[in-house]
Amino acid sequence: MKVIKIDKSEFNAGLEKLENAYRLFGPVKEQSYYAFKALDAGEKPDLEYTNTRLSAKSLLYPQSEVLFEYSLDKSDADYAILKEPEKDYSPRAVIGIRPCDADAFAVVRRNFETPEYQDTYWLKNYDATTLVGLACDNPVPTCFCTSAGSGPFNEANLDVLLVDTGDAYLARVLTEKGEKLADSAGWTKPADQSEEDVSKRRSEAESKIKSRVNTENLKDQALTSLYDADAAIWEKEAFSCINCGTCTYACPTCWCFDVQDENYGKSGVRIRNWDSCMYPLFSVHASGHNPRGQKLARIRQRFMHKLKYYVDKYDKGIQCTGCGRCVRMCPVNIDIRRVCNQMNSYDPESCSCAVTS
Amino acid sequence: MKNLMEHMGLDPGRLHFSWISSAESTKFVDVAKKVTAEVKALESKEKKFVKTKPKVA
Amino acid sequence: MTTYSDKIKEISKRLLKEGKVDLVIGFRKGSVPLMNQPMFAKNEGDVDSFVWDSNCGINLANYVTDRSEKIGIVAKGCDSRNLVVHIIENKIKRDQLHIIGVPCKAMVDRHKIAAMMPGEIESIEENEADGTLTVTGSGFSETLNKAGVLQENCALCMHRNPVLYDELIAEEVTEQNPEEVDQYAAVREVENMAPEEKWAYFDSLFSECIRCYACRNACPLCYCPTCFVDESKPQWVGKSVDPADVRTFHFLRAYHCAGRCTDCGACVRSCPVGINVRALTKKLEKDCLENFDWKSGLTLDKRPPLDTFRPDDPEEFIK
Repeated sequence: MKVIKIDKSEFNAGLEKLENAYRLFGPVKEQSYYAFKALDAGEKPDLEYTNTRLSAKSLLYPQSEVLFEYSLDKSDADYAILKEPEKDYSPRAVIGIRPCDADAFAVVRRNFETPEYQDTYWLKNYDATTLVGLACDNPVPTCFCTSAGSGPFNEANLDVLLVDTGDAYLARVLTEKGEKLADSAGWTKPADQSEEDVSKRRSEAESKIKSRVNTENLKDQALTSLYDADAAIWEKEAFSCINCGTCTYACPTCWCFDVQDENYGKSGVRIRNWDSCMYPLFSVHASGHNPRGQKLARIRQRFMHKLKYYVDKYDKGIQCTGCGRCVRMCPVNIDIRRVCNQMNSYDPESCSCAVTS
Repeated sequence: MKNLMEHMGLDPGRLHFSWISSAESTKFVDVAKKVTAEVKALESKEKKFVKTKPKVA
Repeated sequence: MTTYSDKIKEISKRLLKEGKVDLVIGFRKGSVPLMNQPMFAKNEGDVDSFVWDSNCGINLANYVTDRSEKIGIVAKGCDSRNLVVHIIENKIKRDQLHIIGVPCKAMVDRHKIAAMMPGEIESIEENEADGTLTVTGSGFSETLNKAGVLQENCALCMHRNPVLYDELIAEEVTEQNPEEVDQYAAVREVENMAPEEKWAYFDSLFSECIRCYACRNACPLCYCPTCFVDESKPQWVGKSVDPADVRTFHFLRAYHCAGRCTDCGACVRSCPVGINVRALTKKLEKDCLENFDWKSGLTLDKRPPLDTFRPDDPEEFIK
């Protein structure tokens, strides 16, 4: 692995060079919060940010995305034929994504790229994207990445990791994609003796993360006993839930979508929109029957999926990278850390959780 | 109803209320014509709540 | 407000012990600053988690809809008004409720305080004696005047004392003087805009909406089994984040609250992106007051204006 030193004074010049080869995306301050957006020519990402309000998932997976176009004109030779529109899959680079959000792409990929099925829309976006991460020096109280399989300096799924050392960035070039990007930006100056500095900063950042989840028992817990833990876990958590979609939309690892056709006069589009397992409509059948008709069933589904079904299916930890957005944004303070710790400590014999908060 | 429409920037002329008895067929025709004409006239002035086909990203 | 919390616990324990109610609905301390979580207590042990402070802005009337048990419910002024609306609309029966009335000292605006601070808030200390809040985070500690950071609806509130209750936990608080509080300054500001300005104002207001429906779901009025945005036969509204669809949702939802909204502010409080949803409902409240001399949720004895006809109802809009 190469480590390059980029003086901050030269960083922007590098980004300008990148604009020729990549479409750039990065965090930008909007009013009182940060959001990822496509950077206009000359616009610079604001790397002083903590994290964006919504996750980076929309960069590869927009909230609404056109899949097909069709004609409804009967005289048209292509009448009622679904056609995939041209999309821009040219190289793009995300500058300054946090390790938790980058790691979330690896989680989503396990679902969107399986031997049987590939989500080509997401994968094409993913393949076109180079992820330049920014190590997290100042995690906030809701961050729990270190116990969710990620970390403030986690390199998983990144192509480059930038470590802020004050007047310079140490760029740890992790993949071929990353090398290509560093070359296009003209970032070449090798950094000497960086390892010690980085690991010191890493442990400093890690020690700032006080909040954690315990996950060690989740895999061994019997699925059915967790599922049936209504009185100990689900009734209490479900009570306050208002069944909005905030947690799922804020989450970098929630991947569910709904497909809709929208007609506009004599033509139309098939689009997919983010959907949420918190909505009754999510699971309602054409017959009218809803297997998850009750709020309790929906809340249970979300947490069981993230903390049990996913764990069992992939054996790669939980479907959560500890970004803490759902904890911060839930209107009624449902806290995944508490739910996770309850599930982890649930004792089916006594039907109770050793940990309740 | 009208007030909130106006409040959000729609022309209140888009909404009409009338009392028409089931026996007043000619009044119904007159009102329908008048409403159509007035709303059509507004169309050139403001185009709102018009949804356009989403852009392909 | 430690005394409030203690009193709530004491009453709840008594009600559960005497078997007067099957459960009590209240708040427990949140896991993050500025947030409390609605909870229910079915036994005396659970009651110890109950808390009352300036972060109880969620409207608990939302949690009794169509329930069949005997319920004890902790209710501040606006919650009690929404309980009245619920009773009028047959969503709960009066004799199912034991209302533990809380004379409300107003709730603080979580979005506003978060935006004022230079960094992440780690803890908040409330000092009731001098009406201040001490907000602490990494590298800062600031003392705020609570009166300056109230939820806007609380700053304008004329009914801090519950209008309907079975017992009060404390002496009533002094209500604000209607002469001194300008209820509709923000509404008038929009009223005075030109149509295009109004359109642009709401465009920018809703531009951040992610259609999570938290505003709708936190609202005690929004209890329809299937909301119009969820209907699929026919589908009234598109499901994407197209601005026309987003606006249709907010605009029509507001209409459904006409003459019913108590301006409890739960919609604004729950919005994860901080949209001032009240910009629409406050206008409806003003119209109801001006046209029908009506404020919702104040009495069980009168039917709401949109469900009654009076010969003197204004009708100049009918041609």
